[in-house]
Amino acid sequence: MASSQSDVLRGTLDLLILKALSLEPMHGWAIAQRLEQLSRDALRVGQGSLYPALQRLEERGWVDSEWRATDQGRRAKYYELTRVGRRALGDEVASWHGYVDMVEAILRST
Amino acid sequence: MTHLLNRWRKRLRALVHTSAVDRELDEELAFHLEMETQKYVREGFTPEDARRKARLAFGAPRQYKAETRNARWLSWVPGMMMDLRLGGRMLRKYPGLTIVGGLAMAFGIWFGTLTFEMVRLVVFPSLPLPGGDRIVQLRLWDTEANQSEPRALHDYMIWRQSARSIDDIGAFSDATRNVFADDGEARPVAVAEVTASAFRIAPEKPLLGRVLTEADEAPGAPPVVVIGYGLWHNRFTSREDIIGRSIRIGGGFATVVGVMPEGYAFPVAHELWMPFRPDVADLSPREGPAITVFGRLAPGVSLDAARAELASLGRRETAELPQTHAHLVTQVKPYARMFMEPRPQDMWLMLSIPLFAVMLLGLVCSNVALLMFARAATRESELVVRSALGASRRRIVAQLFAEALVLGGVAAAIGLAAANFAINQWGKRYLAENMSPLPFWYDPHISVTTVLYALGLTVLGAAIAGVLPGMKATKGLGTRLRNGTAGAGLRFGGIWTAVIVAQVAITAAFPVVTYIEQRELWRAEAYDVGFPSERYLAVAVAMDAGTDGATADTARNVKYATALEEMRRRLLDEPGVSGVTFVDRLPRTEHRYRLAELEDPTRIAAAGAESLAVSRDSLRWVSEATIDPNYFDVLESPPLAGRAFNSGDVSSNAPVLIVDEVFVKQVLHGRNAIGQRVRFVPRSTSKTKSPEAPSAWYEIVGVAKELGITSVTSRNRDPGIYFPADLGRSGPMYMAVHVKGDPLSFVPRVRAVAAAVDPALRLAELQRLNEVTNGVLWFLQLWIRITLGLTAMALLLSLAGIYAVMSFTVARRTREIGIRVALGASARAMVLSIFRKPLTQVSIGVALGSVLAGLVMLTEMGGGTISVTGLGLMLVYGLVILGVCLMACVVPTRRALSVEPMEALRVE
Repeated sequence: MASSQSDVLRGTLDLLILKALSLEPMHGWAIAQRLEQLSRDALRVGQGSLYPALQRLEERGWVDSEWRATDQGRRAKYYELTRVGRRALGDEVASWHGYVDMVEAILRST
Repeated sequence: MTHLLNRWRKRLRALVHTSAVDRELDEELAFHLEMETQKYVREGFTPEDARRKARLAFGAPRQYKAETRNARWLSWVPGMMMDLRLGGRMLRKYPGLTIVGGLAMAFGIWFGTLTFEMVRLVVFPSLPLPGGDRIVQLRLWDTEANQSEPRALHDYMIWRQSARSIDDIGAFSDATRNVFADDGEARPVAVAEVTASAFRIAPEKPLLGRVLTEADEAPGAPPVVVIGYGLWHNRFTSREDIIGRSIRIGGGFATVVGVMPEGYAFPVAHELWMPFRPDVADLSPREGPAITVFGRLAPGVSLDAARAELASLGRRETAELPQTHAHLVTQVKPYARMFMEPRPQDMWLMLSIPLFAVMLLGLVCSNVALLMFARAATRESELVVRSALGASRRRIVAQLFAEALVLGGVAAAIGLAAANFAINQWGKRYLAENMSPLPFWYDPHISVTTVLYALGLTVLGAAIAGVLPGMKATKGLGTRLRNGTAGAGLRFGGIWTAVIVAQVAITAAFPVVTYIEQRELWRAEAYDVGFPSERYLAVAVAMDAGTDGATADTARNVKYATALEEMRRRLLDEPGVSGVTFVDRLPRTEHRYRLAELEDPTRIAAAGAESLAVSRDSLRWVSEATIDPNYFDVLESPPLAGRAFNSGDVSSNAPVLIVDEVFVKQVLHGRNAIGQRVRFVPRSTSKTKSPEAPSAWYEIVGVAKELGITSVTSRNRDPGIYFPADLGRSGPMYMAVHVKGDPLSFVPRVRAVAAAVDPALRLAELQRLNEVTNGVLWFLQLWIRITLGLTAMALLLSLAGIYAVMSFTVARRTREIGIRVALGASARAMVLSIFRKPLTQVSIGVALGSVLAGLVMLTEMGGGTISVTGLGLMLVYGLVILGVCLMACVVPTRRALSVEPMEALRVE
């Protein structure tokens, strides 16, 4: 049971990261901040899940990374959505809505 | 596309430059920490508090790094690399296991690779030519005689004109011709009279000059030849001005127009190519020379389609020429399968050989697994600790697999090198002895496919030798960890015991096979031919059919006989030559056999008729040779009774023969042979057909010594009979020249004399008369070596198995031994208790092996009884095996006895 729960969370995190990156390319810390901000501080993404997830998405070809300078002139690794990643985001969003609707339907019926 | 390339570049970079990528990850995490700290500073914390808070929120970076690494492509590779490095270290740490296990696996891989390569050659031969799989042979098959009909000139012409599914149809006929080099010396050369299309089927740029063209085939075109590299290099000293020169081939001359590059041997194993110019007179159906027809499937045409077209052409011929073609069908088959085509039922047999090799590898690796398991048992505490530190079972098994893989890798390198050696040393000779000449496409070598196969075997072997013991050793590791009973949880099952017993049995039985083979070899080497054969030079003498191809048979026979006589006359004039004689089969080699019937006067008197029906009961197989009248004289073995042949015997109306002493002993049971009569009965091939009439009666005029009329490989000497030879009519003969000194030093003179007598005389197999069966002896030696190798391997594996069981037993019983010694058990009692199990296993194995060996001896030696010496030898050998196996117990036993009681208790 524990493992299936973490699978759901992992999938969700991937979706959220893709969503955050759909606005503009950003580095790991900025992604965490953006998610925190968008969730109104409800979601704190731990670094322990963030970086493996980014690695996984990159491995899947959904995001690409590049080292470049920040506004303060600091070197940081920026992630951006690839074309495949953008398509994947659409699919993931659709599938999430489907999932939510299904859960919703079940909850309503009982 | 660029995106995909970029992704792969990154993946490879992560795999190859692991440390650089790790440094970047460190930098990325450090950046994250710094940004987090700055955030807290902005929220009003002091820099120090901000850093502490950020660090606390960050958690354990080591773990993130591990997880991030695991998300990378092929993330298991670096771990595997570490395991492999560790495996390499283990090889050095346990040299005994490395040597025994490595040798055993190398043997398995060697055997597997070798059988794979040889079976691949036979079952899936391929032409090393462009589009080689589309080159086909066309042939006529006589369904009544169940053999091919090589006289296909008539049909070849039709195929060439009508067949649409096959291009470049060509033909060749085989011949061996004397080629004279610059020094005037003649050597027989394999010649192909071949159509120009051969050089399109097997295209190759000539080294010098040109290849044959269609114009060369025109009647009246000047005679030209293309020669092979070997011929050009060895006989014509690689001279560049060979093109345009006229060389002597048999009785004629031809101009060299081209030299082919090294290795070119199309159609089969040819060294010289002449234009194919069939005689118009030979064009009648089923007439003319034996030819082989080839072609290439037209583009887009399948083999089946070509078969269908040619079969329909064949049916047309059958309808038009019922007299000759009633039983002929036309076949199309892959060219590479011209000489060997395993029947479908044999295919399985052929494929079962590599399967057997894989099973043997499995057995060998099971033994290595036994050793690995025993070692894992001694390392159990290490495994338990690793498991306690969080290593999963899969991780531990993977490590043992990696260790076996390193061992297998070393073994594969040794096995492949040994296979390469064996193929070059023995494989090529083996094929050449079986197929003479060896077609150019049978070229055994370690190909890429073979290497890949060997690697596959290695992985399989490593899986057996590493994963199996890994699974067994890690089973219930957690429970053992909790109970603190390291070692006690592992057991050797009954299967292992059976494997060890079976191996000891095989080890005990193998030497009997070796002994039988060795005895055959001794017997063959000690074969007495009754005369000093090492002082004779043996030469096969044949004669070219004549370059004009039209010489009538009788004329050629006369020419051959005259040439032989002239050679004899000239050789006898040479200093040091004391005799020259001719025989159709050389002593020691395989002779022809006939069914002989001895005349029984009592039966004839009773029946009162000369043409008495053949009495099948009185028939005997006898070995025959046809000899020149002076044969016994030259061999310095005058007849023991009666007389030798004289020149009158050949033409006489009263046929005579000479028998040997074995005949007198076995057929006549010691009675006087002279004057007795013998006749020969044709072997009836079928029971339904009425047997042919027996021959006329031959009178025995002499008794000769036993002069090697039986093959060296035969166990018993067969009765022999000699017929007088009619030189010229008795077929090609061997010449035996009795010379003073080394016969081989006389070879150049014999060649010179032959060339001077008749350029069409072909000399071959020039060797000392006692060495004519060296090829057979080589085979026997090869088999003995193979059996010895197998015996050594079986012994090694048995030892390894017993050693493994013993050291495992001791490791498992350390505490028990310690306590028993502490309680005062004597060393003797301890040794006995440790030895009991292996002693029982080895004894059962030796006993089973002895029974097996006894059975083999009884069936093979055929004597029905085993000699006392044989029995004694078996007993001694059994004891030796027992002793050697017990030696394997020495190290573990010493380890067991040196266990200090307190130490043993503390260890646990």
